[in-house]
Amino acid sequence: VTFADVGGGALRAALVLALWGLFAAAHAAWRRDGRSLESARWAALGSLILVLVAAASMVAALLAHDFSIRYVAFNNALETPAYFSAISLWAALEGSILLWTAVLAGAVAFVAWRGTRALPRLATTALAVMFAMLAFFLFLVVTPAADPFVRLDPVPPNGRGPNPLLQDHWLMGLHPPLLYLGYVLFSIPFAYAVASLILGEGGDRWITATRRSALVAWALLGVGIVAGAWWSYAVLGWGGYWAWDPVENVAIMPWLVATAYLHSVMVEEKRRMLRTWNLALVIGAFSLTILGTFLTRSGVVNSVHSFTQSAIGPLLLGYLAAVLAFSVGLLLWRSPRLRDVGQIGAPLSREAIFLFQNVLFVAATLTVLLGTLYPLLVEAVSGDQVSIGAPYFDRVEVPIALALLFLMGIGPQLPWHGASRATLERQFALPVVAAAAGATMSLLAGLRAPMAVLAYALVAFVCATVAQEIARGIQARRTLHGESRLTALANLFRRSGRRYGGYVVHVGIAVVALGIATSQAATVEAEATLAPGGSLVVAGREVVFEGLRDVDEPQRQAVVADLRIGDTVLTPALTYYPNATQPIGTPGIAAGPDQDVYAILAAYDARGRAWATIQIRVIPLVSWLWAGGAIVGVGAVIAGLPAPRPRERTREVAAARPLRRPAVDTSGE
Amino acid sequence: VRRIAIVVGVLAVLAAVAAVAVPRPETADERVERLAAELRCPVCQGLSVNDSPSESAREMRAIIERRVAEGRSDDAIRDEFRAAYGDWILLAPPTGDPRGLVWLVPIVAIAMGVLLVISRLRGASSPVVRPTPEQLALLRERARLEEAEGLRVPPLFPGSGAK
Repeated sequence: VTFADVGGGALRAALVLALWGLFAAAHAAWRRDGRSLESARWAALGSLILVLVAAASMVAALLAHDFSIRYVAFNNALETPAYFSAISLWAALEGSILLWTAVLAGAVAFVAWRGTRALPRLATTALAVMFAMLAFFLFLVVTPAADPFVRLDPVPPNGRGPNPLLQDHWLMGLHPPLLYLGYVLFSIPFAYAVASLILGEGGDRWITATRRSALVAWALLGVGIVAGAWWSYAVLGWGGYWAWDPVENVAIMPWLVATAYLHSVMVEEKRRMLRTWNLALVIGAFSLTILGTFLTRSGVVNSVHSFTQSAIGPLLLGYLAAVLAFSVGLLLWRSPRLRDVGQIGAPLSREAIFLFQNVLFVAATLTVLLGTLYPLLVEAVSGDQVSIGAPYFDRVEVPIALALLFLMGIGPQLPWHGASRATLERQFALPVVAAAAGATMSLLAGLRAPMAVLAYALVAFVCATVAQEIARGIQARRTLHGESRLTALANLFRRSGRRYGGYVVHVGIAVVALGIATSQAATVEAEATLAPGGSLVVAGREVVFEGLRDVDEPQRQAVVADLRIGDTVLTPALTYYPNATQPIGTPGIAAGPDQDVYAILAAYDARGRAWATIQIRVIPLVSWLWAGGAIVGVGAVIAGLPAPRPRERTREVAAARPLRRPAVDTSGE
Repeated sequence: VRRIAIVVGVLAVLAAVAAVAVPRPETADERVERLAAELRCPVCQGLSVNDSPSESAREMRAIIERRVAEGRSDDAIRDEFRAAYGDWILLAPPTGDPRGLVWLVPIVAIAMGVLLVISRLRGASSPVVRPTPEQLALLRERARLEEAEGLRVPPLFPGSGAK
C-alpha cells in the first residue's frame, strides 16, 4: 500500500461522506429530524478525519521523497531539507487545494458539532450549505486536473525540487496557511447568511452566531497578508513589501470587504438596519475568496494565454458563477422580508461614519478588482496589452486609505444617532492638537511628501482618540468601582473586549500606516561596484565590502557577498537552483526599530570574484509594519475572547449606582 | 478653549501639508526615479524599473539617466519605450487615452456611494432630542417617586408610554 493509495482512497471516501452529510443535513433541517442531524455530524467528523489522513499521507510522501507521485516528483527533490519538504504541501496547485479542503472540512466539523447545538435549525441549514462546498472541493481534488495523488510512471530517480522562491525562508511555512485559514473561515458567515435567507428569517441571528468566526477569519487573513508582505520583503530582494501583484490583490480584496462588514454589522445590531447590505457584503467577501483562487490558480492573470491549459480554471469559474447566482438569487427572492427598522442618524453620527467607511472600503475593493482585471478586459475588447501597476494603485488607494484613517479616528468618538456641538468639541480637541503635533514631527523628521505628512497627522489623531477613550474608561471605572488604574485597565479589556480590542486593532493599523508612510517616503538608496575592501556610505552609515564567498549546499549553490556595517555583517547572496534558469537574489537585512539596512547583491565578477555591484537601501520604520500586523492580531484576540457573564456585571453596576438609573428608560418603552 | 484648539490644530495640519505640497524644482535624480517608477521592468512580474534589481531594469534605468541628461522631455522618454515595447511598458494607462477610463471608476464609485448615504441621512438639524426643562423636572420627580416607593406610576408623556 503506497501513500498514493491511502491518500487517494481517503479523498474518495471523504467525497462520499460529504455527499451523505449534505443530504442528511438538508433532511434534518427540512424535517427537523434529530437522527439525520446526528448522522450529518458523524459524516462531518468522518470526512474531516479522512481529509486529514490524505493531507498527512501527502506530507509523509514528501518527507519520504516518494517520486511515484507526480506532485512529489515535481515539487520535491532528494536534497530538499525536511522543513521545506513538509511545507511543500502548499508549494503548488494540487497541494494547496488539498490544504484548502482540509481547512474547509475542519470548518464543517466545527459547525456540525458546535454550531448546531446553539441554533439547531439555522446551523443545520448552514451545515448543508457547507457540506455542498466541501463536496465541490473534494470533487475538485479527485478530478485529474487537481488530484494531488496522480502517479508518475516510470518513477524518476530524483524530483525537480520546489519552486526556488518557496524554499528560501521559514515564513513560507506560516503565511500561506494563515491566508487559507482566513479565506476558508469566511465560508462560515457565508453559509449562515445563506441559511438565514433560505429560512427567510429576516433577522440578524446569523450575524450574532458567526460574529466570532468572521472576526477570526478577518484577523487570520490580515495577519497572513502582513506575513506575506514580510516574506516578499525578506525573500524577493527588491527592497519593497507590496507590489500590487495579482496574488497580493486577491488577498487584500476579501479583507477590505470583510473590514467593511465587521463595522456595518454593528450598525445592524444597534440600529436594526442595513440588513440587505450586510448580506451583500458577506456574499461579496466570500465570492472574492473564490475569485482570488480562480485568478491566481488558473494562471489567467499572470499569463493570459494559459487559461485553456488549466482544467481547474473552468471548474472554479463555474463554482464562482454558481455561488453568485445562488446567493444573489436568494437575496432578491427574500428582499421583501429584509425590512430595515432603524434609520440613519445625522451626518455626524456613528452609523453615518460607518456608512461612509463602507463606501470607501467598497470603492477601494472595486478599484483593486478593476485594476487587476483591466488588462484582461482591454485585451479581450481591443487586443491591446496594457499594464496596471503600482502607479495606478498608489494614486487611487493612498488617498482612500488616508480618508479611512481619518474616519477611524472620528467614528468611535461619535455617539449613535448624532452628536451635539459640545460633544464634538469635547471629543476632538485633544486629538486635533495631537494631529498638529504629528504633522510637525514628520516635518522635523525630514519628510517632504504631502501624503506622508498627512499620514503622520492622522496616525497621531487616531492614537490620541484611542488614548482618550481608554483614559476616560479607566476614570469611569475608578469612580464607579473604586478600582486601581491597572485593575480598571484590565477590566476594560476583559469586560468590554469587543470595544477595546477594536481600539487595539485601530492602533495596530495606525502603526502599519506609520511604517508604510515612512518607508515609502524616506528610503535612501545607493549603488556601487566595489572591489574587496571598498566601501560606500549611505545615510551616514559606512558599508564595507569584504569579499565574495561560494557556498555549496546539496540543493543549491550560492555566491555570498560579505558586507560589514559597524559590528553587523550582512550576507546578501545570489543563489542558483538546478530547476531555475535565473539566480534568486536573497537580500541581507539588518533590521532595527528605527531603520533597516537592506543589501542586495546585484551583480558580481563571475570569473575572478574581483568585484561586486552592491545596492544598499536604508528603509526607516519598515519593521513597524510587521509589529503593527501583530498588534492587529492581538486586538482581534481581545475582541474575540468571550466577556465574563453579563449577569454579574449588571448586578455590580446596579449596586454601584442605584440613584443613576435613568427613569426615562422605564417610561419610554 | 476647545474650539480654539480645534481650529488652530486643523490649520496647523493644513499648513504643514501645504508647506510640503508646494512644487519644488525637481533634481535630475528625482526625475529619473519618477520616470523609472512609471515603467515596467520587462522581465519581472509587475515590478517597476525603479524597484527591480534585475539586469534589464538596470539597463533601462541607465537609458533614462542618459535621456534626462540630454534634456529630453518626459513624454519623449516615455514614447521611446512605448515604441520599443508597446503601451504594455507603462504601469498605468495615460489619463487622456480612452483606455484611461480606469481612472474614472474609483471616483465615480465613491461619489455615488457618498451621495447614496447622504440621501438616506435623517435631517441634520437637531441630532439629539433633548427634553425641555419642564419634562426634566417631571422626570426627576418621577425617579424620586419610583425610588422612594418602588411603585409603578402611570406613563409620563401621553402616547409615548406603555404600548
